Amino acid sequence: MFYDLLNFLGSLHPLVVHLPIGFVLLTMIFEFFADSKSIIQNRMISLGWLFTFISSLIASLFGWFLGDSGYYFESQIDIHRWSGILFVVICFLVWVYKSFNLPTNTFLSRFRNIIVITLLTVTGHYGGSMTHGEDYLTENLPEIIKEKLGVDYEEISTISSRSIDSLFVYEDLIHPFLEDKCMACHNDENTSGGLNMTVFELLVKGGENETGITKGNIYKSSIFSRVVMSQRNEKFMPPTGIPLSFDQTKILEWWIEEGAKLEQPITSFREDAKIQKLLLHLYEVDIREKPFLETLVLEDLSENDLIYLENENFEFRFLSNKNAVLDLKFMGENITKENLKSLDKIKEHVVWLSIIDSKLSDDEMAYLPNLKNLTRLKIQKNFITNKGVAFIEGLDNLSELNLYGTRITDASFEVFSKMKGLKKLFLWKTRVTKKGVAQFTAQYPNIEVMVGY
Amino acid sequence: MNCNHDHSGKNYSRRDFLTKTSLGLGALSLGSLMSPTDAYGNSNFLNLLDSNKQKLPHFAPKAKRVIYLFQSGAPSQLDLFDYKPKLNEMFGQEVPKSIIGEQRLTGMSAGQNSFPMAGSLFNFKQHGNSGAWMSDLMPHTAKIVDELCFIKSMHTDAINHDPAMTLIQTGSQLPGRPSIGSWLSYGLGSDNKNLPEFVVLITKGETGQPLYSKLWGNGFLPSEHQGVQFRAGKDAVLYLENPPGVSANVREEQLKYLNKLQQIQHADIGDPEILARMSQYEMAFRMQTSVPEVMDLSDEPEYIFDLYGKDSKTPGTFAANCLMARKLAEKDVKFIQLYHQGWDMHGTLPKSIRNKSREVDQATAGLIKDLKQRGLLEDTLVVWGGEFGRTNYSQGLLKPDDYGRDHHPRCFTIFMAGAGIKKGITLGATDEFGYNITERPVHVHDFQATLMHLLGIDHEKLTFKFQGRRYRLTDVSGNVVNEILS
Repeated sequence: MFYDLLNFLGSLHPLVVHLPIGFVLLTMIFEFFADSKSIIQNRMISLGWLFTFISSLIASLFGWFLGDSGYYFESQIDIHRWSGILFVVICFLVWVYKSFNLPTNTFLSRFRNIIVITLLTVTGHYGGSMTHGEDYLTENLPEIIKEKLGVDYEEISTISSRSIDSLFVYEDLIHPFLEDKCMACHNDENTSGGLNMTVFELLVKGGENETGITKGNIYKSSIFSRVVMSQRNEKFMPPTGIPLSFDQTKILEWWIEEGAKLEQPITSFREDAKIQKLLLHLYEVDIREKPFLETLVLEDLSENDLIYLENENFEFRFLSNKNAVLDLKFMGENITKENLKSLDKIKEHVVWLSIIDSKLSDDEMAYLPNLKNLTRLKIQKNFITNKGVAFIEGLDNLSELNLYGTRITDASFEVFSKMKGLKKLFLWKTRVTKKGVAQFTAQYPNIEVMVGY
Repeated sequence: MNCNHDHSGKNYSRRDFLTKTSLGLGALSLGSLMSPTDAYGNSNFLNLLDSNKQKLPHFAPKAKRVIYLFQSGAPSQLDLFDYKPKLNEMFGQEVPKSIIGEQRLTGMSAGQNSFPMAGSLFNFKQHGNSGAWMSDLMPHTAKIVDELCFIKSMHTDAINHDPAMTLIQTGSQLPGRPSIGSWLSYGLGSDNKNLPEFVVLITKGETGQPLYSKLWGNGFLPSEHQGVQFRAGKDAVLYLENPPGVSANVREEQLKYLNKLQQIQHADIGDPEILARMSQYEMAFRMQTSVPEVMDLSDEPEYIFDLYGKDSKTPGTFAANCLMARKLAEKDVKFIQLYHQGWDMHGTLPKSIRNKSREVDQATAGLIKDLKQRGLLEDTLVVWGGEFGRTNYSQGLLKPDDYGRDHHPRCFTIFMAGAGIKKGITLGATDEFGYNITERPVHVHDFQATLMHLLGIDHEKLTFKFQGRRYRLTDVSGNVVNEILS
């Protein structure tokens, strides 16, 4: 009962607090224009400071109650609390000074007023930050000014800049919002309802009457059920302030259903397209599996490298704007060893390569195994036999190989079977037999073999 | 027409100066005041203003080229792909009022007293492992449905041919915007130095809705990006041959000097169209040898002609153009646009559609098979479709064996195959009357966004500034249809 009353008075703090602000500003304006010799006017000013003192005393008392209610972090309140009390003290001193009618110095009193206003601003700012959030003032600034100020309050940036393999669901996604919304009241010192959320084990254990988290069951996890129930229900959490967002509850739900593991990596979301989208939207974290060529880490190519390539009759095209992966195509009719040697400089950069109908011979195939990152190789319509194909056995990243119009036979299937990444094989107009193809596809059903219609 | 360049030969026009000083320098100085280390502002905001700074491709492309088999006049989806047994069940009954609602109809059928539902006269069957529905009008294509991806929920804004074609080809119903192929040419540049990036092939001798060159025009983009029409017959590209009495050497000499003169002029007035013209002259010179080579089908073996159908031996037919398209794809032409007219069947549809389907069926299937066996389907996107659909009710008198269908922008079917597209799937659905979309609507702009995406372009980032604002193919809309991407 008594605490309820205190809490009620505490909740009046944001209301009452504006009264002393009004008083003190009015008094200062009055003082500025007042005739310092007029006794009546001086008494009015002194009265103004008295009102300020009394109202600020009440406001700070209420504020103390509010601070004790446990909805705010001690660290958040500190500056606001003590600067507020300092303000009350100063008002009291000024009033005492004024009421004794001691001589005043215009310069000193103006200096004093500036200090009081500064104090008021500081107190007000920290108070406002607690109720409205820290980005209240800046969030509506024009984008360009924000950028220049370096204002970016969203936590997005810190997460999205990290490698997704190092992120954990609880630590990086859930803990931050629980800390923001819940841990002011549920911490080591202040365990409302017997719940301490700062320690993971205690969070799982829960409070006095309810289990915090039942792994795999959101209905028996009060951490979840309390934040999604009707907001009118008195058990709804958090009791004040902005509730958890839909996306946050979704992440919480997914994590609990997956077993609420502390060490659940964020990449395990990969199975769930909805959560993927949500992460992308909310945190700019793209956890979708990247195509091979985007995972490559390559040095940039110089202009000279590219001119050199063109001189060797290769036409190039970049396949990404993030790294210098190349799609190369030989433009001439007769490729030479010199042409192929030129690829050595950029061997890691070539992921697609076309040498079509260019008299590529078996011996020249020996230059291709260096191109470890090849995923697509088009060497159709050349005089290649099994001997040449044997060279490229070790190209593990190769997924598409076009050999149509070459002279390979069934013997090459043994080579193909060793290529780990192979998915598509084009063997139209070669000397492979239907039987050979059938045997191969029976053994490697994941490799699509095209032999024409 | 294009006045974005500066005529004075100076680096800044008055407009540029004002823009850059107010937005650019102003913002820069503000930036340097606030964070002096970042004086040249790595500002994303400013970068966004300049699409040239966004390097292309925006992400790894799946497709390197596109073959677009455009069926002008709007093929009837209800007789080819979108099976609606309900229409046969209720043959001749009025379309329920609740289905049409307040939707607009064309002036051709809006005045009809009756809107009798016309079920298709053709037999539908499910085909392939994917179980895709197709009528018996296109038996060859039905055999390769497992390679195809059908979108049954396409819809468009326009209700008449010209605006609808202009919309699907250029992104706007109003003429004057660059065609899809022009955007790709502008964004991705050339893979082939001897042929244009954007080639247009039109079936010869067809009648029907007219095709205007605006459909493959460059709009406000530099004119070297316009589509080049290859014709069947003696001169594939008009006026490409040297005039009588002018030898190749003389021509080369002539072009060299012309080039010098033009360079002087460009240095003087800086009009980018001068550069465009220079590059076109040079391209034309190279095309004098490359075009006859690519147009020559005499090297093709008999079984290839068999694959595309017997029409393919007659130059200028759809089949011959399909075969040509494959040859151009082999030469890495980026965008190969075919047009086949005559699908606009307001009356006697059953008779007309039989002929029309026969003209395109085997060639379409043949092209896809031929691309596949050569490995070209891995990096070539094939699109087949018209500009809108056709109504479920009969335009004119409905007879048991005859009906016509009016324009229907609410739903139509297209199919795609090849690079980056899932095989053997059907996306979207229409209601049981085949009138409205019930599942996953795909707007023309969504289709265009998806096409760009497959080529490695973010459709929102490839822009061109014209008359004071930035334009893009999809202008202000369009979402990539992720469901069909493999």
